[in-house]
Amino acid sequence: MGSNPRTAPAPMIVEDWDQLTFRVNREAYRSAEVFARERGWVWMHTWLYLGHETEIPNPNDFKARTLGGRPLIFCRDTAGEVHAFLNSCPHRGTVLCRENEGSTRLFQCFYHAWTFRNNGEVAAIPDAGAYESTDEFRASMGLRSVPRLEIHEGFVFISFDPDVPPLLEHLGDAADYMSMIEQQHVGGMTTLPGTQLYGVRGNWKLAVENAMDGYHFAPTHNTFVGYLRESGYAVTDDNQYAYNLGNGHGLLVLTGHGGRISMIWEPRFGEDERIRTDAHRAEMTQRLGEQRAHHVADESHILFVFPNLLLFDIEGLSIRQLEPVAPDQTDVRAWQLVPRNEDPETRALRMKTVVSFVGPGGLATPDDIEAYEAVQRGIQATAGSGLPELDFSDMSRGMADEVKGVQGRSIDEGAMRGFWRHWVDAIGLDDGIEVNGERPASFLSGRDVR
Amino acid sequence: MTAIDNRSSVECAGRTITRQEVEDFLYAEADLLDHWNYDGWLALFESGARYEIPTTDYRPGWSPHETGSFVDDDWPLLLARVKRLKSRKAHAENPHSRTHRLVSNVRLSAHTASVNSTNGTEHAESTEDCFRVAASFVVHRARDGRFDAYVGWYEHLLVPTEDGLRFRLRRSVLGHESLAAGARLSFIL
Repeated sequence: MGSNPRTAPAPMIVEDWDQLTFRVNREAYRSAEVFARERGWVWMHTWLYLGHETEIPNPNDFKARTLGGRPLIFCRDTAGEVHAFLNSCPHRGTVLCRENEGSTRLFQCFYHAWTFRNNGEVAAIPDAGAYESTDEFRASMGLRSVPRLEIHEGFVFISFDPDVPPLLEHLGDAADYMSMIEQQHVGGMTTLPGTQLYGVRGNWKLAVENAMDGYHFAPTHNTFVGYLRESGYAVTDDNQYAYNLGNGHGLLVLTGHGGRISMIWEPRFGEDERIRTDAHRAEMTQRLGEQRAHHVADESHILFVFPNLLLFDIEGLSIRQLEPVAPDQTDVRAWQLVPRNEDPETRALRMKTVVSFVGPGGLATPDDIEAYEAVQRGIQATAGSGLPELDFSDMSRGMADEVKGVQGRSIDEGAMRGFWRHWVDAIGLDDGIEVNGERPASFLSGRDVR
Repeated sequence: MTAIDNRSSVECAGRTITRQEVEDFLYAEADLLDHWNYDGWLALFESGARYEIPTTDYRPGWSPHETGSFVDDDWPLLLARVKRLKSRKAHAENPHSRTHRLVSNVRLSAHTASVNSTNGTEHAESTEDCFRVAASFVVHRARDGRFDAYVGWYEHLLVPTEDGLRFRLRRSVLGHESLAAGARLSFIL
């Protein structure tokens, strides 16, 4: 079961239905033991987002990528099959592929020149006669595939655990939101080059919280909201909701934050785009029916797929992957997902608009990063203070509505609570959560699953 | 055979622009940015200009209109960026980063665009009112008790005007493999 260091301080979460409070132990963001548990229990036993199939469109394409600290090769073999191999020579462990991306039929280790086909088979072992049973030996020395790989709507997931349930079972209610993305345009979607690679000095769970937290939008993004208002678009938090999709997945449904390229027009997109948007919306209604077209086109979604995938289906579509590096450090990788067939003017407008908001050089994401880095620094204030009751973060917002059976709003913290409840199960800590009082029936019925 | 062009000057819009003139412009720009004089900095742009930072996997020839970027600002976005940075509510830069910039390896060349002739062949054509500047930069940045360095190349388009040089395109290309933790681009690179 991976590494299992001495038990981390429990409880990680205190949920109180009498006081209507939900509190998270700040050790969850700081502790090396908790981090080791996450690596050993979560990252080793869950489906992880590896990449999008369109990143390796052609036979022999490959990308090198690290998940859970493990170097991997994500490639398409000569026959067109998608693979994920450990990026480590089966001989002595050398990183086999030292380029970040490219196209090759063969991966050759520079150290002893062992060579492998891109379907994992051994192609050559120099001086193979030196091994006693050469054929058998050779057969045992192929590239190590990750135990499981499945693809949903082009999104490629892997697991280091051969016994995980099928991907669609893990995705559950999140799967359909990924299908909605693929259905946005005739011809489907594709990733583009120009990957945003950046590190954050904060725990990975702060990035998840931030994405599921509509409460921070107005104060944190004051300057961006101002820009939207000046460009003639009203911004509102009304009628925006948060959903727990189960298995740790969460969803914000947003209708008031800016427009959506080719879906919801706003003045800053210009008149030509208004005409294209109307035509596209009509095409969607015909293709998908009014109800489905409404869900696909008229709502923005922020979808979190536990534990490492965020889909910002907002002004445009960004795929964001989280790679925890240390308790207080996370690598982020972000790709833009765009319609395969798109008018060049719309594409240019899309790229400008998406980048203006998301990414470490945008007008909004830097403030989010500032927030999670500031949390990471600030939570040292109560660490080991001898007053453990102070060393908790509060995520109670919206619990009063939760008891009444009212749908959680995007500006509440219900989606974050869903994430944390699943997380505490997933890290396998006994006594990880303390529940005081009784969870109300409205909560237990799963009323907030859309 | 490799020839090293004489890049100490360039002909543009009927004028001879010297490298020294361009270096003075870039040094003055660095000074404005390092002293957080964003109005002064914006005055170095012609109306309609662009500001771009490609991603670290950038390859020459990529268009920001067809790829992801870190910054892809047209004129209204650049105005919004400067307005934002001057606000107390630009949390990522409040308090401001301390920056210190070094600019070197300045080279000038004519701006040419590939033009398809009627016979279908491509040829390079000099456009008359702007020229290219390549330069190296190192930007040191102190914030939150950390010190980061950003290195890379500038690929600018400059326009000579009556009032001096002006940016038409200001592009910073990073030499990094990725942005190190904490090294977000919340200031002007």
